[in-house]
Amino acid sequence: MESTVRTFAIPNELCRRAGIAATWHSINNLGIFPSQSVNPSIPDRPSPYGPSEASVFNVRQDILLFEPILRKLVNESNGIFLNLQILTSGNVANLKQELLKVSHQYRSVIRACLENLQDEVARVDEHTSENMKNYITIFYSIECIWHLCEILFIENIPGSIVLPHLLEWVRFHFPKYERQATIYLNSDIDNIELDPDYWKTVIGCLLQGRVEVVRALLTLHSSANSPVFKLFDQTLKSMPIYNVYSGTSVTEFNLRWKHWLVDTQSKIDAKSFVSESHLNLMMKLAVGEELAWNQVQAQCEAWYELLASWLFFTEPTVKTFELGQFARRCIGRMGVRDHLRHLDQILLAALEADIFQVIKEIQHMSENGWFVSHLTDLLFHAGVLDTLDGTNEDLVAGRLRESFLIDYGVLMSSHHSLWQLGLSYLDHCPSDGLHVIQLLLQKLPLGTEVRVQKIVREALKRDLHPVAQSVCKVQGINCLRRGKMGNALSWALKSQDGYFTSYLADRFLRKYTTEGKLLCPDLLENLGSAMLSCDRLTFLSKYFEFHKVYALKDFKEAANIIISLMSSKLTPKYFWITLLTDALPLLESDEIVFSSNDTFMLLHCLEEKSKLPELQDKISLIRIAAARNLARALTTEAQAA
Amino acid sequence: MSHSVNTTFISDKTSKIRWKTDPFNDSNVFITGSWDDENNNLKLWEFQENKDDTDTYPFILKSCAFQGDVTELQFVDLDSFVVSSSYGSVYLMRITSNEKELIDIEACINWNKIHNFSENEVAPCTSLSCYKNDIVTCGEDGRINLLTSQHQNIVYSNNNADSCCINCVTFLKFNEVLTGNNRGLLKIWDFRQNQSSLCNSFILGQDQIAVTCVAVHPSQQHILVTGDEEGSITVWDLRKNTFPVNLLTVHTESISEIMFHPDHPDHLFSCSTAGEIWHWLSSSPATNTHTKLLNLQETDHNPWYISDNVKNKLEVFNLMPKLHFPINSLDLSRDRVLCGCDNEAIYLISNVNIN
Repeated sequence: MESTVRTFAIPNELCRRAGIAATWHSINNLGIFPSQSVNPSIPDRPSPYGPSEASVFNVRQDILLFEPILRKLVNESNGIFLNLQILTSGNVANLKQELLKVSHQYRSVIRACLENLQDEVARVDEHTSENMKNYITIFYSIECIWHLCEILFIENIPGSIVLPHLLEWVRFHFPKYERQATIYLNSDIDNIELDPDYWKTVIGCLLQGRVEVVRALLTLHSSANSPVFKLFDQTLKSMPIYNVYSGTSVTEFNLRWKHWLVDTQSKIDAKSFVSESHLNLMMKLAVGEELAWNQVQAQCEAWYELLASWLFFTEPTVKTFELGQFARRCIGRMGVRDHLRHLDQILLAALEADIFQVIKEIQHMSENGWFVSHLTDLLFHAGVLDTLDGTNEDLVAGRLRESFLIDYGVLMSSHHSLWQLGLSYLDHCPSDGLHVIQLLLQKLPLGTEVRVQKIVREALKRDLHPVAQSVCKVQGINCLRRGKMGNALSWALKSQDGYFTSYLADRFLRKYTTEGKLLCPDLLENLGSAMLSCDRLTFLSKYFEFHKVYALKDFKEAANIIISLMSSKLTPKYFWITLLTDALPLLESDEIVFSSNDTFMLLHCLEEKSKLPELQDKISLIRIAAARNLARALTTEAQAA
Repeated sequence: MSHSVNTTFISDKTSKIRWKTDPFNDSNVFITGSWDDENNNLKLWEFQENKDDTDTYPFILKSCAFQGDVTELQFVDLDSFVVSSSYGSVYLMRITSNEKELIDIEACINWNKIHNFSENEVAPCTSLSCYKNDIVTCGEDGRINLLTSQHQNIVYSNNNADSCCINCVTFLKFNEVLTGNNRGLLKIWDFRQNQSSLCNSFILGQDQIAVTCVAVHPSQQHILVTGDEEGSITVWDLRKNTFPVNLLTVHTESISEIMFHPDHPDHLFSCSTAGEIWHWLSSSPATNTHTKLLNLQETDHNPWYISDNVKNKLEVFNLMPKLHFPINSLDLSRDRVLCGCDNEAIYLISNVNIN
């Protein structure tokens, strides 16, 4: 491979002096910064570069497919790709036929894209239009190769009689003559033969095997009624053209064709056409006379155009597997052997049925792997790549397809907006896809809640629970940083991380001890079963309930909650003082809300915690209140008994 | 007559899609807002209907850059719409056309960064709702703002409307709004009182599933439907709002938008992040005629209240084969439905069976 290394300069003085280092910033983003190589053996000394302003440069590859105009192609083909995967995972009766349809869809998407690009070229300024023209060249080649591959590898051709398809392919890509012919046929010009392009068009149409068009064009000629034209028309009309569905066998056709050749040759030899040099030339072409072909081959723009024409007149029943040798012969004729373009090489490889070579070459087309991944996938499903298995140990069809899909999927995921599309390709990589997704999802930048929700959902859809949880946790931390405690807690609950939830619940409680206010009452009130997710949250939620009940003046219930909180062993050390202080007014309330047992429990806790320094100035107060309550409670209970 | 679907790839993931209504004719202008891209935009589209050709191709009338994701877009009158961004700003914009028939979108009022976490950090505005000139917005900061399309000042703002992220908001009456948050908590606020007070709050279910969208019945304003993260549609009667009247578990994933047909409230449309778009048709025999539906005495027959025994009277139509990506938004105009999807395509569904 020729050198494809390109150099980019970082316009920074410090980078120049110190040297640079780089680190991956996101999937398609490289952070480049000035850096000096240091190793342990170098003694410490002040840096010669400081103090100076350091910059970090974000460098990323320019991806052609991210152009808005090409994103239509990217998205539309993604739909086709996904439908194809569904198609092949089921049992479809006529898979070959369906695959051909899929191939047609892909090509129509490319053609639509080409059309868009052509419209765009006319609209935009010079610089952009230059780009657009480049894209047109690229996608034009892609369409051309795809079409040929479709004929050779996907289409099921009865008897491998490939020529009609090849002609169709050539007509598709060299529509010049046909267009001109349509103009002539629709116009009403006298002496049309004086038009400089007239004969060129007639011969062009003949070369593309459009016999009917040639005959129609000749009737426009002013001397169309002369005997030589009539004879020509008759001869052309009687030319046998192979048709699979006509019912004639190949041998029978060959016999008739040979007969026609002999017949026509004798007409030429009898100089029946000499009066009209163009007709004479065309007849000579029809019988495959070398000299005549040498004369017109310059009219062919490419060797493969010549190939189809040449085969039409010399080998009409050529089989798919024989195409390679004829292709080489045509290249030789055209004298382009030494300057084959990239496109030519790929087409030649395809005609020689060297799929591996085709795939290898199309990798180097500069459209970021769209073509190679989609085509390889299609060929893989068509079973064409199976021949690769076994011939080369390192190369397994499935792995090959997967590696292209992964490359393409990862590339797409690097776009801020196309990450979902990228994932959909990775989904269809059976061996490594899921692992890649696992790594990718965690690298995606978060954003609005909607985006985070979507990322989480993509993870859950693939049963990547740890990934989903880690994304939730990151979002939780983000909320915490913004001071949105409620939202942070709700993300923490989603992440199912007990420690994080505990930490947040702790923050709530500490906030209460310092400010006397419980945050986010609306959230705490509706925790539901989530309150059980960790001890601290259970405590917080219960404590909130205490406040609620207390506010409703249901002191009995409030007392119950306090006692259950105290006995639950969930109370954080710093919160005892709050809890005991809260019990104080209840102990002193007019109605007895603590039973003697409750009071014992409370006193027990109080004694246990009596060492707490912050409790010291309250402890006697609580003791008195407890003692008074105990006295009251015991009396009442005794009376009741 | 079956409906037809037209697909257009637009190179943007659509966040919101809205018809520009035309009071006299079938509308053929609409607007899309994109999200999640590095450069987002608003695009105004038009399509020409062709009697012979079933394919209609929308083309762009005007495209303008938009800062942040478009999070909600609603028309306040024929030419003006309100749009909110993930950068916490809300804009009142107007579609104008000058003498040369050049169409433009111009911002009339910018309410900059009215949703924020702190001085320095904006919070996405998640949703908004309009009632005549009043606009209420809500955001990830748990704040609600009341604005009016008449002037720049914020009429009223509640910084602590919710401690979580508010996902959706809607006007119930001129003075009442309802918000839904990501813990499944629905709250009703009354703006008449001085310190606009919380009138009521109720929860979607015991599982704290996020409410993602909400819609009010066009003629019976106490009927409310909500869509949630798990793909269920809940029908509420706000006169007895502590528990839902009906719960339909339908979509497999989060519901992104839900909408009653403005002229035919028997028809409900919903779309989901699983790529589904559904058309709900309640055709219980007792309520075949619209007059009955509008009659408040007959509300017990309201098709959206149906209990289990008549549930099978609800018909559901799939408007499109399931897409591979989330459908984010839909809008209705007579018998035409628009929807926008994350595969960067918009779909125009015509001849939807409304009668």
